[in-house]
Amino acid sequence: MQKTSSIVIIGGGVIGCALAYQLARRGVKDIVVLEKEYLTSGATGRCGAGVRQQWATETNCLLAKESVRMFENMNEELGYSKDIEFKQKGYLLLAYTDDQWNQFKKNVKLQKSLGIPVEMVKPQKAKEIVPHLNIEGLIGATYCGTDGHANPFHVTYAYAEAARKLGVKIETYTEVIGFEVEKGKIKKVKTNRGDIYAPIVVNCAGPHSGEIAKMAGEEIPIYPERHQALVTEPVESIQDPMVISFHHHIYCQQVPHGSFVMGMGDPNEPTSFNQKSSWQFLEEMAQKVVSILPPLKDIRVVRQWAGLYDMSPDANPVIDELASVKGFYTVAGFSGHGFMVAPITGVMVAQLILGEETSLPVHPFGLERFKRGEYLLEHSVV
Amino acid sequence: MRIENHPILIFDRGKILSFFFNGEVIKGYEGESIAAALHAAGIKVLSHSHELHHPRGLFCAIGNCSSCLMVVDGQPNVRVCVEKLREGMRVETQKGKGCLTQ
Repeated sequence: MQKTSSIVIIGGGVIGCALAYQLARRGVKDIVVLEKEYLTSGATGRCGAGVRQQWATETNCLLAKESVRMFENMNEELGYSKDIEFKQKGYLLLAYTDDQWNQFKKNVKLQKSLGIPVEMVKPQKAKEIVPHLNIEGLIGATYCGTDGHANPFHVTYAYAEAARKLGVKIETYTEVIGFEVEKGKIKKVKTNRGDIYAPIVVNCAGPHSGEIAKMAGEEIPIYPERHQALVTEPVESIQDPMVISFHHHIYCQQVPHGSFVMGMGDPNEPTSFNQKSSWQFLEEMAQKVVSILPPLKDIRVVRQWAGLYDMSPDANPVIDELASVKGFYTVAGFSGHGFMVAPITGVMVAQLILGEETSLPVHPFGLERFKRGEYLLEHSVV
Repeated sequence: MRIENHPILIFDRGKILSFFFNGEVIKGYEGESIAAALHAAGIKVLSHSHELHHPRGLFCAIGNCSSCLMVVDGQPNVRVCVEKLREGMRVETQKGKGCLTQ
């Protein structure tokens, strides 16, 4: 492995690979991506694969909207030999309480003001969009037809392939074990396969980014939290949009292959690195999804798994340089919606590092916001 | 064809049952799988591959491989190698990946 580099990116997930490509595209040489296992082995490869623009904060709406635009042209932009499988079949968000409905009204007003094509729909209209939806107890829903899903493996490989063509070195099975900091500046990254000198390090380690920052000597408020998902056998296509119920903490989509992919968040899940799947999830997931989408009672589950969200205190990312270690950037804390905003994140972070003006403002994602109490509270998280 | 004598297994065949395969009446024994009854009746193509539509027959015969998915009494993706035969059941060749009843 090489001994020097211009920028070391830690983490071979979608964020790290997108960033590597965007930096290389801007002419940066000697970029190294370090991944402790294989590409997509962490949160990226375990995610629900959804891409939505219907958020409650302006920052998330804009990140997602710009990313959708990039997903639309990604195969061509990256010269990808396969297909990232981006399908814009919409997202249907269900409201079961007046509080939720009122929140949705505010969200839609914000989303519309930002140019996101979203509409509020009555239960009957929701049933036209998803004919097998059980509308009992449903107050209303919001629908955005340009939301959708993409294949997180292909997206990551597409960025990695394009980055490699531009000279980026991707070192898999290479674990970061420490740093050398000199006079408040990052100097060296220590790995299980040797050390690399680097004047700039970007921490894209998702749920492990807290540990990585600690190795550099600073605490950042990013915590791992287990979320679980499952996939069913394929059947003929019956469901276009992703269906989300914040009330039930579930999401469910039918992927192009015909399988249903669904997941659930547990509000009582403790912070930990546990990413084992459980039978309790299987039981609860099945009950909830069948109550909302009854025909799924006859479908068989093929596989279940768990992954880790990189949670931040306000469910929004941290994009910032460490105050005490210059040259050490954190790009993590995406709290379950990192995949869908990865394309524009790669662009913004590359611009930030190179001292260019960023496409969207980066300052709202600073670490200082937690100290100042300026939380970007995002409620629309499963 | 049915195996009558086997060195280890005992075939405890019950009474004769009638069922439908694509509308045609076929007979089998109570206690055997749908696949066994179809096989005995000379029906060896159980499904078709999704991409190239090649015929597929019994492969694992223990409910693992998805080579024998058929529509049974309206329900798609039934593994007929492990589903027991019942009187009057309607077994049909499945087209495509199967449609969930809405």
